[in-house]
Amino acid sequence: MSKAYDVIVIGAGAVGTSCAYHLVKKGMSVALIDMRDVARGSSSHCDAAALLSDKQPGVDVALGYDSIRRFLELQEELSNPFDLEQGGSLTVCETEAQVELGAEYVKAMQADGYDFQMLDKYEMKQKEPFLADDLPGGFWSSACCSLSPFKLCFAFVDEVKGKGLDVFIHTKVTNILLDDKGAVCGVDTDQGRFTAKNVVNCAGVWSGKVCDYLGLYFPVEPRNGIILVSSQTAPMCHQKVQEYGYLITKFQTGFKQDPLVEKYNVTMNIEPTEGNNVIIGGSRNFTGFTEVADINVIRAIARRAIRFFPILKDMNCVRAYQGMRPYMAEHLPVISAVDEVPGFFIAAGHEGDGIALDPVTGQLISELVAGEKPHKDISEYSYSRYKGKGPKA
Amino acid sequence: MAERFDDDMLVCRCEEVTVGQVREAIRRGACDVTDVKLRTRAGMGLCQGRTCEALVQAILRQELGLPADKTGYSTPRTPQRPVSFGTLGGDIDE
Ligand SMILES: Cc1cc2nc3c(=O)[nH]c(=O)nc-3n(C[C@H](O)[C@H](O)[C@H](O)COP(=O)(O)OP(=O)(O)OC[C@H]3O[C@@H](n4cnc5c(N)ncnc54)[C@H](O)[C@@H]3O)c2cc1C
Repeated sequence: MSKAYDVIVIGAGAVGTSCAYHLVKKGMSVALIDMRDVARGSSSHCDAAALLSDKQPGVDVALGYDSIRRFLELQEELSNPFDLEQGGSLTVCETEAQVELGAEYVKAMQADGYDFQMLDKYEMKQKEPFLADDLPGGFWSSACCSLSPFKLCFAFVDEVKGKGLDVFIHTKVTNILLDDKGAVCGVDTDQGRFTAKNVVNCAGVWSGKVCDYLGLYFPVEPRNGIILVSSQTAPMCHQKVQEYGYLITKFQTGFKQDPLVEKYNVTMNIEPTEGNNVIIGGSRNFTGFTEVADINVIRAIARRAIRFFPILKDMNCVRAYQGMRPYMAEHLPVISAVDEVPGFFIAAGHEGDGIALDPVTGQLISELVAGEKPHKDISEYSYSRYKGKGPKA
Repeated sequence: MAERFDDDMLVCRCEEVTVGQVREAIRRGACDVTDVKLRTRAGMGLCQGRTCEALVQAILRQELGLPADKTGYSTPRTPQRPVSFGTLGGDIDE
């Protein structure tokens, strides 16, 4: 049998690598186990944004802001770069009605103390000269960041590997082991057994399957999204830009727009990357566990993007990829101990916010595993919301 | 492969990645084509790895002593060659 660890972290995506890093920082020995490799799941098939402007007022935006603050610290703390840039983000409204809704949203965010500003047509064009001429206005949020999610995963791992962290790739967890008191004592994998008194489930869209090993109900589902990558371009977009409808589709369905686009649940978001290209989204569809991108969705995304940035029409797309968001119906991740199984923790179900909430999730899990009081009130993220629920309860 | 490439030789012309940068990525833990790509951008450009993939595989074999079937390859993605957004967005099955 291999050596005993303080903690086993299942899944080396953005969430798992952050948990592993923050646990090691607390002085614990950690085995990070992934069935594929570091950053091969959702965390390398996504956008690169830590936004405030897609959060809801209240605890959602507060946690998002906390994470951004922590990202700025991590940029100093980690030896390897993850391309963090606090460039702000622009939300574009397509109609006057959206401008009115946007203004209410901005007011609520300002009341919470965040730097949000309404922009009229001309102010907006100043920020993004290539936007279509007929767009009536939008709003700006200065704190939003972009970063490279997979470089972030590598940076966490590289920082503490061999200094408290052991990484096991191509190793699939196949069961979670309990002692005679019903507490966690290790995991079985297809590469052998690992021993630890604590296990953190960071398996993203697969975390429901990991919970199945313990008979725990965890209704996470893949909500898939496609991203289009342009060829290199002279600057045509200067910050993260999304249409106001993006916010609507995140939290509800049935947003009325171009019927085709509506059919494929597509809204425009675009961001420049450090590779001098732009990446363009996006869609939100329940198409199961697959990374194959539907050509009709790809086309709808292209059409929607041209609606906002007509210049794209003659630019080239070199690649499209699909990623799976770990969706939960409540739009809240679970960052929690599981009372039913001492030593078992879950950090999963972040849907479209696994990157944005990455640092704070790792920090919170390290506090929970260490038995400390979490630095934020996280009762909303408790697993107890599923107590007594589900087919297995 | 007997010949050892110079560190400043270009591997990926589209993204201007050198042999030295690929070696550095491998030193930091990259162990297949996708890993090198994520860490250096080699293969993310206009040609999507058509030119550099074989070179990256060769460097992985040299540095890590990997057999040819263990260096991996990058996943083929739509569209298979560059196409304008206008063409893509043009006609969709309604
Ligand atoms: C199109 C798109 C755009 C997005 N844009 C953003 C954005 O701008 N900002 C943002 O914050 N979020 C965004 N997201 C969401 C973000 O990608 C996810 O929330 C995040 O990547 C989830 O990270 P994770 O670590 O939980 O999951 P993953 O990165 O998927 O990691 C889970 C890991 O667990 C491993 N695993 C699973 N089961 C096992 C097992 N049994 N044994 C061993 N290993 C196992 C997997 O191999 C995988 O590596 C986007 C998502 C998509 C699809």
